[in-house]
Amino acid sequence: MAVPLTAYLIVGALLFGLGVYAVIAQRSAVMILMGIEVLLNAIGLNMIAFWRFVNPGDYSAQIFTILIITIGAVEMGIGLAIMMLLYRNRGTVQVDQYDSLKG
Amino acid sequence: MELTLRALGVLAALGLAALLTHFFEPAALSDAQERGPATPAGARGPVELAPNPDRWMHPAGPVTALLGVLFALIVIPYGPDLVPRDLGIGVFYFIVVVDFVVLGLSLGGWGANTRNSVDVYYRATAQLVAYVVPLGLAYIGAIMMARSLSTVSIVDAQAGMWFVVLQPIGFALYLVTGLMQAYRPPFVEPFAAFIEHGVYGASFAWQALLWRLALSSLLFLVAAMGAVLYLGGWRGPLLPGPVWMLLKTFGLMAIMVWGGSRVPLLSTGRMLELSWKVLTPIGLANVLVVGALILLGVGPS
Amino acid sequence: MSFAEAAEWFAFVILAVISVAGALGMATTMSMFRSGIFLMASFIGVAGLFVLLSADLLGLLQVMMYIGGMLVMILFMVLFSHDPGGSMMADMDMSLIERFFSLGLSSSPDKEGMDMERHGHDGMDMGGQGGHDPMDMGGQGGMDMSMTTPVKRWAAALSVTLGGGLVALLLLRPAWPTTDTTPNPESARMIGELLMSKYMMAFEGAGLLILIGIFGAVLVARPGAYPDRDARDAYVTRDLPPAPIDEDPPPSADAHVPPEALEEVTVSGAHRDEAGGPPPQNETGQAASESLDRDS
Repeated sequence: MAVPLTAYLIVGALLFGLGVYAVIAQRSAVMILMGIEVLLNAIGLNMIAFWRFVNPGDYSAQIFTILIITIGAVEMGIGLAIMMLLYRNRGTVQVDQYDSLKG
Repeated sequence: MELTLRALGVLAALGLAALLTHFFEPAALSDAQERGPATPAGARGPVELAPNPDRWMHPAGPVTALLGVLFALIVIPYGPDLVPRDLGIGVFYFIVVVDFVVLGLSLGGWGANTRNSVDVYYRATAQLVAYVVPLGLAYIGAIMMARSLSTVSIVDAQAGMWFVVLQPIGFALYLVTGLMQAYRPPFVEPFAAFIEHGVYGASFAWQALLWRLALSSLLFLVAAMGAVLYLGGWRGPLLPGPVWMLLKTFGLMAIMVWGGSRVPLLSTGRMLELSWKVLTPIGLANVLVVGALILLGVGPS
Repeated sequence: MSFAEAAEWFAFVILAVISVAGALGMATTMSMFRSGIFLMASFIGVAGLFVLLSADLLGLLQVMMYIGGMLVMILFMVLFSHDPGGSMMADMDMSLIERFFSLGLSSSPDKEGMDMERHGHDGMDMGGQGGHDPMDMGGQGGMDMSMTTPVKRWAAALSVTLGGGLVALLLLRPAWPTTDTTPNPESARMIGELLMSKYMMAFEGAGLLILIGIFGAVLVARPGAYPDRDARDAYVTRDLPPAPIDEDPPPSADAHVPPEALEEVTVSGAHRDEAGGPPPQNETGQAASESLDRDS
């Protein structure tokens, strides 16, 4: 492989930082869910990079990544359902408007 | 160089497919009131140019749809060695790439920024949600029997008997979900007359041409994949491979379009209901039946 | 550097740039639809990186799940937000990156009107807001329409620190023990064999998890026992101002209605529990069929 392992891990680290920004700074609940998907993606990239460079004989890493993608999709589905219920009850999906517990 | 030859072959296949489908489809649709993507060009009134289209997304729509169709043509085998690229995961790749057509419809619909085109985007995405699971289940029967995801292996596995004989439920399921995937009657909601014939109403000049190319080829692709999965691909007694492939594809297209145009149109809500309440259980039952058949030793070994 | 190596580096750089730029665009653009499209591009970039790492089934799986998933998620986002096209934010005070990724979003009054009209059309379908103007939400007329919260600068600092720290750690670390063996090209077969033999429990568990997730999502998002327009207005509890209280409540037995908002909670709760109601339908299907009925 011409491209070293570190290069892939750097891409994963950058994606992780951007995902953290999206989760913290975005205002709409759906955008936060999208940020979480970016985080999961970065993790998946790290896993597959390590699989390829450290032990390509054992495909368990790919199965783990499949499960990560699956769980990410399920979490997105439930998150959207909860968001829809929140929208019905509060009228907005912007998370800084949910301040009824604020002291 | 071989790569350019294969690329040119794919482009030629695209042109031929779109051309033949464009002339063939209205003949089978003769007494349907909604024609979907085969709407003749003069059917909607003068095109009302979208007043404020998104500069990047609106043209990206037909381009994405056409790219999806082009990439999907790569895995269809036309003869014993006539496949542009035999991917090991060909059928899965095909499903993935045809989803790009829906992405193209969303980009084009949203980008045109008119009320009707955004409606197209909503309905096309709802139809995607409806067709994707039963379509996967329709594919799985053939994949299980052939024990491979490669289109060439699936055709080779039908040397003894075509899968349509062994899996009639799967074949019927594929007919219905294939129509849903190709936006033909009775599943023409995103292209209906009351929303200005879908993306045709908001595009003109080269974009309209690309839309027609992409959507005609999409019907051809769906029929071709059905021929590969259930009708034995290019296998046949006397005629050469590509001729059988064309015959089977157009036969399947005729069955689908003619049968579909007889059925009353379905709204998107009913499509979703049909898909999740009827087609998905039928698909799961089909998987059970095929599994039982394989365990009993029926079909290719 | 041989041709193959150069080609590999070239592909890697392009895919890495697409992934990172897509994620950056998702986080900074002012239009929600574009942000979804940028996220799709980022996922396709990462899927390309997977294919470059010889995990082709996984790359295709990533594309399939995320293209379909993101399309539906963007649909939800568009239907639930006030300004999915981003046109109302074009005059806002944005940083340079945000301005770059929001190029082309005009703030012409036509588009604003069309956005409002489009959202008004669908806001009525989705949220049961009755005849409410989407902007008139009880004191939120002057709300800050930005896509990001006021903690944007702290978040940016945190993420830059985190990303920079990770990259520095990666560059300064001694090399991992890597091997050069090429993996088996039939990854689908290997994954299938592993899934069916060694990881069968995980496979079945994931299936069960998905099933429970679907149940949960459908149950949480049910439209309620009476999905027609008036009943849905009653079902959707909003923070309505309470009805004025009479000085002398009428002594008659027919209970004068208490403040509407409070009653709707209990009424709708009761309705939800006691009646069977129509089978739960996908919300999109419901909205679409309802609008279809309105059109015909």
